[in-house]
Amino acid sequence: MSRTTAPRSRQVIDLPLDVRTQEKAITEKARCVEDGRLATYRPDGRNVERFLALLSRRMNRQLAVSFTGCVHCGLCADACHYSLAFPDDPQMAPVAKADRIRKIFKRHIDWTGRIAPWWVGARRPVDDEDLNELKNVVFGLCSGCRRCTLNCPMGVDTAGLIRFARGLLTELGIVPEGIFNVSRDQWDTGNQMGVSEEDYLETLAWMRDEVRAELGTDTVDIPVDKEGCDFLYVINPREIKFDPRSIGQAAKIFHLAGESWTMPRWGWDNTNFGLFSGDDALGAFVAANAYDAATRLKAKRIVISECGHGFRSTRWEGYGWAGRDQDVPSESVVVTLFRWLEEGRLRVDPGRNPLPVTFHDSCNIARSGGITEEPRRVLARVCADFREMTPNRTENYCCTGGGGLLSMAEYRPVRLEAAAVKARQLEATGAKLVCTMCHNCIDGLTDVIKHYGLDMKVVQILELVDAALVL
Amino acid sequence: MSPFLKTLENEVQLICLAFLALVYILRLAWIFRFRSARDRGLAEGSGFRGAGYSLGSVAMPWAMESIRRRPFFYIQFVFFHLGVVAAIAATFIIPYAPGLFEKRFIVRGFQIVIGAAFASGVLRLVRRLSNRTLRSISRPDDYASLALMIAFFLAGTLAIPNHPEKGEAALIAFFGLTAFFLVYVPFSKICHYLYYPFTRYFLGLTLGRRGVWPPARGRRGSASSADGTAAGRPS
Ligand code: SF4
Ligand code: SF4
Repeated sequence: MSRTTAPRSRQVIDLPLDVRTQEKAITEKARCVEDGRLATYRPDGRNVERFLALLSRRMNRQLAVSFTGCVHCGLCADACHYSLAFPDDPQMAPVAKADRIRKIFKRHIDWTGRIAPWWVGARRPVDDEDLNELKNVVFGLCSGCRRCTLNCPMGVDTAGLIRFARGLLTELGIVPEGIFNVSRDQWDTGNQMGVSEEDYLETLAWMRDEVRAELGTDTVDIPVDKEGCDFLYVINPREIKFDPRSIGQAAKIFHLAGESWTMPRWGWDNTNFGLFSGDDALGAFVAANAYDAATRLKAKRIVISECGHGFRSTRWEGYGWAGRDQDVPSESVVVTLFRWLEEGRLRVDPGRNPLPVTFHDSCNIARSGGITEEPRRVLARVCADFREMTPNRTENYCCTGGGGLLSMAEYRPVRLEAAAVKARQLEATGAKLVCTMCHNCIDGLTDVIKHYGLDMKVVQILELVDAALVL
Repeated sequence: MSPFLKTLENEVQLICLAFLALVYILRLAWIFRFRSARDRGLAEGSGFRGAGYSLGSVAMPWAMESIRRRPFFYIQFVFFHLGVVAAIAATFIIPYAPGLFEKRFIVRGFQIVIGAAFASGVLRLVRRLSNRTLRSISRPDDYASLALMIAFFLAGTLAIPNHPEKGEAALIAFFGLTAFFLVYVPFSKICHYLYYPFTRYFLGLTLGRRGVWPPARGRRGSASSADGTAAGRPS
């Protein structure tokens, strides 16, 4: 008996809309839901109408030309880890994903689609089911890595279109539960893991004590809300919750480098779920928290800890979302480390990191952030055996956990299958350590390593610099 | 030359050209109607250099992995677009500078280029029909645009010797298709060349400011300075 297997994309596209956490937030009277900053799903049959109105209102020139500029050449299919992992499933191609929103744009805004919709494949969504399918495609089959964008001969920003679609759906509450939950935390607590101020301060104090004990001096500190410092340090909440060690490592290195620094009591989260959910208002709120903290504390610059989307959001996108020009300079902590190493402020011995190390470029840092060389220069100084993975820099493959996918458990099985591309790339290096300057990539890569049984461990740059320090 | 062909080569072309220009102006106005977004972070690199790199990538087949992996696709692309330029030039040469096509080597040169474009077009159509992903994303406009271009190249190759006295069919087909194109193009995907400079410019501007493009290896890094330049990050 012959059996037809549905393409893997259908297993994502057909997932129903789950609004249980939204209902819970309503019952619990979550502040951001009460005051309307975070939308919840309204089953009143008017979502298509709202969606189309939002589509028109949010359109800008960059998006409009990316919508119209695609020639359906299909070259982007070779760039995406989803379509590479599922070559027989046309729905995995970036252009096919973007076409799901492009056809609505054509029918609703572009004249060709309004005159002859069937000729150009223009079509409006009919009901919430259609919008839910769109949700599953743009959230579940794309990590927003932008590899397709940089490989499009026309310069079409497919990842930008996908984020745009995410933003429209977020405003209708047609979102994966994970996206809703994390957005809720970030709106209501100012950080995406809902860390309380008490926990934050306690963890910093704990790490300070650890570093004091290690260095045998009380002069080392993790200052909070100190004015007029050389820099303000903003981190990923994952560091407080799961990896406080990285804060201790940073504190130790900052102390040795001899620059004054502080962390803010409020506005310390450099991550930004607005980038993933497409919610520019959330993006503006979170980014402005950090910008305002720097201004309030008269910091000379903002230093962003090792986080890919945090770097992209804080360093680049946040100003656009918040509608303000950058006034305080900012940089990744890896750039700071590189400078200190160059200036001889830190003494290191690469022999202390003898295992073969490879470097994974975070999509948000390399393709959307412009940093590719500094991490390599740092690693060249602190590791004895550095090996490039292929491809690398702006051509590297995503860790597969980008775009907020780590928070969306329902898409995990397909994500991990698509990660076969990444697994092969990692394995080919023969390295024992894969270093990345992104907390999100740590979790994404760890998932890949576990799933494919690779003999590797994920580390960060701070960790390797710390291990190589000659005190 | 029959009066019909004469009118088709001249007045009809000019009217259709004027129509094309008008629709393009409207199309540009439509694009500019949308507000423009911009990066507001202090620049690490030059937006204009990035835009230049982005626009120039068409001539840098090594710059993009997707093209690097498919050199044959790039060669087809080059022939196809050279053919477009040659065929368009021919639509002006035949009515306004016919003397040029009295030189045999020029005619041959045009025929080779446009003939190669014809072959590229056929290969592209085969690819579109045989590749599952391409088939699934293709709309009637994708097929029609390609089929029309193939017909245009074929008619152009045959019409270029410009001998109406030996038969006008090829010339009528060529100029008939040209007139049709001038009216149809703004509504079809062939119009992509109007958007191309915008998409590439916008992407290049953003990535240039961020120091992603042009790709530079071996940069030194430090915090961007408040005056918008990249202190210590010579590009
Ligand atoms: S590579 Fe660009 S133009 Fe080609 S199909 Fe993909 S998005 Fe469209
Ligand atoms: S952004 Fe990345 S994951 Fe998304 S479609 Fe493009 S290549 Fe695929």
